[in-house]
Amino acid sequence: MCDEAQQRIEAYLSRLQKRLRGLNREDVHEILEELRSHILDKAAAGGEVTAAGVDGALAAMGSPEGLASEYVADNLLTRAAVSRSPLRVLDSLFRWASLSVAGFFVLVGSILGYVLGAIFILWAALKPLHPRTAGLWVSRDSTGELTLSLRLGFGSVPAVGRDVLGWWVVPIGLLVGWGLVLLTTRFALWCAREYRRMHLPRRVEAH
Amino acid sequence: MLVKQDRSREQESGDKWEVQLRKGCLELAILAALWDERRYGLEILRRLESDSDLIVSEGTVYPLLSRLKALGLLRSEWVESDAGHPRKYYALTPAGKQRAAAMAAIWAQFSSSMSTLLGPLTKGSRSHV
Repeated sequence: MCDEAQQRIEAYLSRLQKRLRGLNREDVHEILEELRSHILDKAAAGGEVTAAGVDGALAAMGSPEGLASEYVADNLLTRAAVSRSPLRVLDSLFRWASLSVAGFFVLVGSILGYVLGAIFILWAALKPLHPRTAGLWVSRDSTGELTLSLRLGFGSVPAVGRDVLGWWVVPIGLLVGWGLVLLTTRFALWCAREYRRMHLPRRVEAH
Repeated sequence: MLVKQDRSREQESGDKWEVQLRKGCLELAILAALWDERRYGLEILRRLESDSDLIVSEGTVYPLLSRLKALGLLRSEWVESDAGHPRKYYALTPAGKQRAAAMAAIWAQFSSSMSTLLGPLTKGSRSHV
């Protein structure tokens, strides 16, 4: 094999490796070696491995960014099959977001969902600590406008208005919070699946 | 103009459906390609190309292979080759065999009942052509 062919393979693989950072080190090694072997096999289809053959093999694999993105989306789906912990999902999403615009938007949406869910759970958890101040407060301001505020209970008892939920804050907060967390995880997985779907088999043009 | 748009939209949704259908079959196709012997990635790709009209890119198959492995349906081993570099061979695990057989059974049942239902349609289209 000529040096030029070798260089092109290494350049491609090192770009891919950079984008796979964060995945388990052994997995990355396996992926790179497997693809190297694939490129060599494919480039040597006509006998000798040539630079042109390598170019063809690399072109068929698509950009390193795109390929890394697929590995990461798959990794997210696999990990979620084992554990749906928001931390694991977010960890994979951060990696995906660094690779593609789609991943970035899914990450932003998911962070929003998880943070909102966490606030509701926190709300429920703080009620026993701040029984007189945590709750859903309704008050009427000077213009007669009704305002609704969700208070975590820090600070003093509001001068006006009243807490409309009382101890219902605990079950409602837990239920809504937990529901948001579950929905967010499902949303992230659905996006990853849809993303993978976009890259799947096309019709056979020749037929 | 409007008719043209409608037709292209119709065709687009038909294409989407076909893509979904192929997508649904890909996992089964990969498991089936490994049914009788272990194979490496490029062999699997070629097998899919020659024995099914699932045209799949390496960018799709390799990540999917590593996912099926992580799910415990495949195992892999590195084998030295005459080509001078090792190749990563995949084989079905017992769980993978079980899953492939179960999927194939569902497929057979489903496609035979669909064929009965679709019989009149396909006959019709043949006489049209």
